[in-house]
Amino acid sequence: MSYVSRCWEILERSKTGPIMDENDFLPKRFTPALKKLIREYDLKYDPATPCPSDEAMADRLFQAAVDLVVRVGYYNTDTHRIIQITPEEIREALYTAPRQYWVGGGRDARLFEHRMVEDRRPPFCILSPDITVDEKYHQSMCLAYLKEPLLDGLCGPILEETFGHLIESGGPTEISGCTQHIYNQKLAARLVGRPEVFMVAVGTAEHDSGQIAVSNEQWGVRKTDARLVGALTEFKTADTLLNRSLHYAQYGCHTGHLTGPIYGGWCLGSEGTAVTIAAYSLLGLVVHGATFNQHFPFHLNYGSNTTRELLWSIAMAGQALSRNTGLLYTSNGFANAGPMTRMLFLETAVHAMVSTVTGWHLWEMASTRNKYRNRATPLEARLGAEVGHAVARRGLTREQVNELASRLLAEYESMAADAPIGSEYHECYNPAKAVPTTEHLDLYKRVRDELAGLGLVFPY
Amino acid sequence: MSLEMLGKLVADGEADEARALAARLIAEGQGPLAMIESLTGTMAQVGDLFARLEIFLPEIMLAGEALTAVVQELGPALEKAGGRKSRGRVVLGVVKGDLHEIGKNIVKLILETSGFEVKDLGYNVDSLAFVKEAEAYGADFIGASSLMTTTMPRQKEIIEILKDKGLRDKFRVVIGGAPTSRMWAEQIGADLWCPDAKSAPDLLAGLLK
Ligand code: B12
Repeated sequence: MSYVSRCWEILERSKTGPIMDENDFLPKRFTPALKKLIREYDLKYDPATPCPSDEAMADRLFQAAVDLVVRVGYYNTDTHRIIQITPEEIREALYTAPRQYWVGGGRDARLFEHRMVEDRRPPFCILSPDITVDEKYHQSMCLAYLKEPLLDGLCGPILEETFGHLIESGGPTEISGCTQHIYNQKLAARLVGRPEVFMVAVGTAEHDSGQIAVSNEQWGVRKTDARLVGALTEFKTADTLLNRSLHYAQYGCHTGHLTGPIYGGWCLGSEGTAVTIAAYSLLGLVVHGATFNQHFPFHLNYGSNTTRELLWSIAMAGQALSRNTGLLYTSNGFANAGPMTRMLFLETAVHAMVSTVTGWHLWEMASTRNKYRNRATPLEARLGAEVGHAVARRGLTREQVNELASRLLAEYESMAADAPIGSEYHECYNPAKAVPTTEHLDLYKRVRDELAGLGLVFPY
Repeated sequence: MSLEMLGKLVADGEADEARALAARLIAEGQGPLAMIESLTGTMAQVGDLFARLEIFLPEIMLAGEALTAVVQELGPALEKAGGRKSRGRVVLGVVKGDLHEIGKNIVKLILETSGFEVKDLGYNVDSLAFVKEAEAYGADFIGASSLMTTTMPRQKEIIEILKDKGLRDKFRVVIGGAPTSRMWAEQIGADLWCPDAKSAPDLLAGLLK
């Protein structure tokens, strides 16, 4: 069944499924089911191995994810009903899901395909600052990211202002901001000579209306591009989100399912977070018809995923999905530290190596807990992509990555709670030319050399 | 010994057992105020464990529910002894246009487990609804969360509506959310900004002194 035909079934279920009070859904349905599954499938976090290689556990974890989707369902907060999903539907969707897609157009087209654990094919690298920027730096930052040699796709920075007006959620300024966003991004792509490069756009859209407004083959988000539809943490959706996936499917572009399961929240510890990530990939496929899933699990207190309890979840979920499905999923790094700090480079490197070796594609890199305007640069994303390529090309094993990651974690993990916030884009990049300052570039090179010293062999 | 046991049951989120033990203790002549005082200490410890993520959100929530069960059980006895003092009534929600509800949910939990009464308005809440609900609930505080710069103007709008309706002095307006700041609170005339959930109970209580 195609996604759009399945989607009508799903919309129907969100009107006819079992009714439940939203306040009860997580404490009474989601968390108890998850807790039970962690026990039933004997899943156990081990802090000594941030990059585990227990394949039997990865397969059990996958089964737990299937069961979680089947037992819990997806809650629609508008209808207060649960969209129930059967194991047969999951199996059918998994069987019929393509293992690869061509994305981007013309000469800039790229193959985005399923990866295996310890795959020698490099990860598909979507680079993104994941934050908002001043209007005056938006265009420059798009250019700076698009100049990155290992970029396969761009998700641009988010606007807070449009023509000097503060963007207000849901109002005309949001629509205008979305138009400006995609124009800036497409112009930047043309300027750097990659006019049809794959994009995930536009992050400025907070509502379905904003997304729909920029679907345009001539000047807007094209069919060869992708856009995101979020999940409400955890396992909840709403009509405004279902509107998006339906529109994306009918328009004909790619859909990415954006999910951020929270360690310490409703999905409990590392085991629960891992199961929830894998389950979200299944929900993205079945409920939203996602081409790929974009996961950013994060630590409730830090707002990051570069400490061992989160790395373990990422590594286990990656292996579970890689070994048991043909799906595509990107691992979105969230760091504690800010730009132009050694810590941010190290965090990015560790996030990228653990993700790459366990079957993920990369989406790098949200810095400074994804919280501060202008605080992200392409250099940390570059290092992440280079580390991903290095790990894949050299065929590093999970054991080798585990050892490397453990050594690097010792360098920064204790600073997670009070990491340095670093610099803003214009303090470490020349915005006019969209190039890094010498100081920033030097620091990047030093850390790259440091990693090479530990045995990581970069492809160039 | 038994008070200790009661504390443990509450901390473990065993609502039914905690309620049963509370009933037994009352029957045995234990004073309800002493029980509440001891459980307040328990909840503070539970709150600390959660702040360090030694326990997780669902666990502190269960502890909160167990506490509520005990308080209900003690109802009549507490009433006689002068009642359990609420630290204040709060209507809490995420402003219009904003679907980010995680922070708000944590604030709700922390306020409830530290003795506030909270009415949760959910997310994507219209500014006027905050005001109407606050009046209906007899609230001391209006708590408004915003996670996006594009929805921060709604926090200001709530205050403007209060002013226009001549209600500004009736409620303390408290704001929070990652992009907000003390400066923003001052700029829009809010009474308080909280950087996180754990600082909220004391800061709110401070406003009522
Ligand atoms: C998780 C998340 C999501 C999830 C939300 C799930 C959910 N159900 O809540 C999903 C994926 C759905 C999502 C969607 C979007 N998001 Co979002 N998201 C985040 C993220 C990463 C974390 C937020 C979070 O939950 N933090 C954890 C909690 C515990 O922290 P907290 O909310 O800050 O709350 C604490 C304190 O602030 C305080 N507090 C909070 N409120 C209050 C209120 C009171 C009264 C008090 C006393 C205290 C208080 O106490 C809390 C506990 O300590 C932030 C980045 C960030 N670092 O904040 C981006 C972020 C908020 N999102 C952003 C964006 C752009 C979006 C989207 C538009 C993306 C898209 N293109 O679709 C949509 C918007 C949807 C909408 N209309 O709201 C931007 C906003 C940019 C801006 N303009 O300001 C951010 C800042 C990321 C970024 N840097 O660009 N997002």
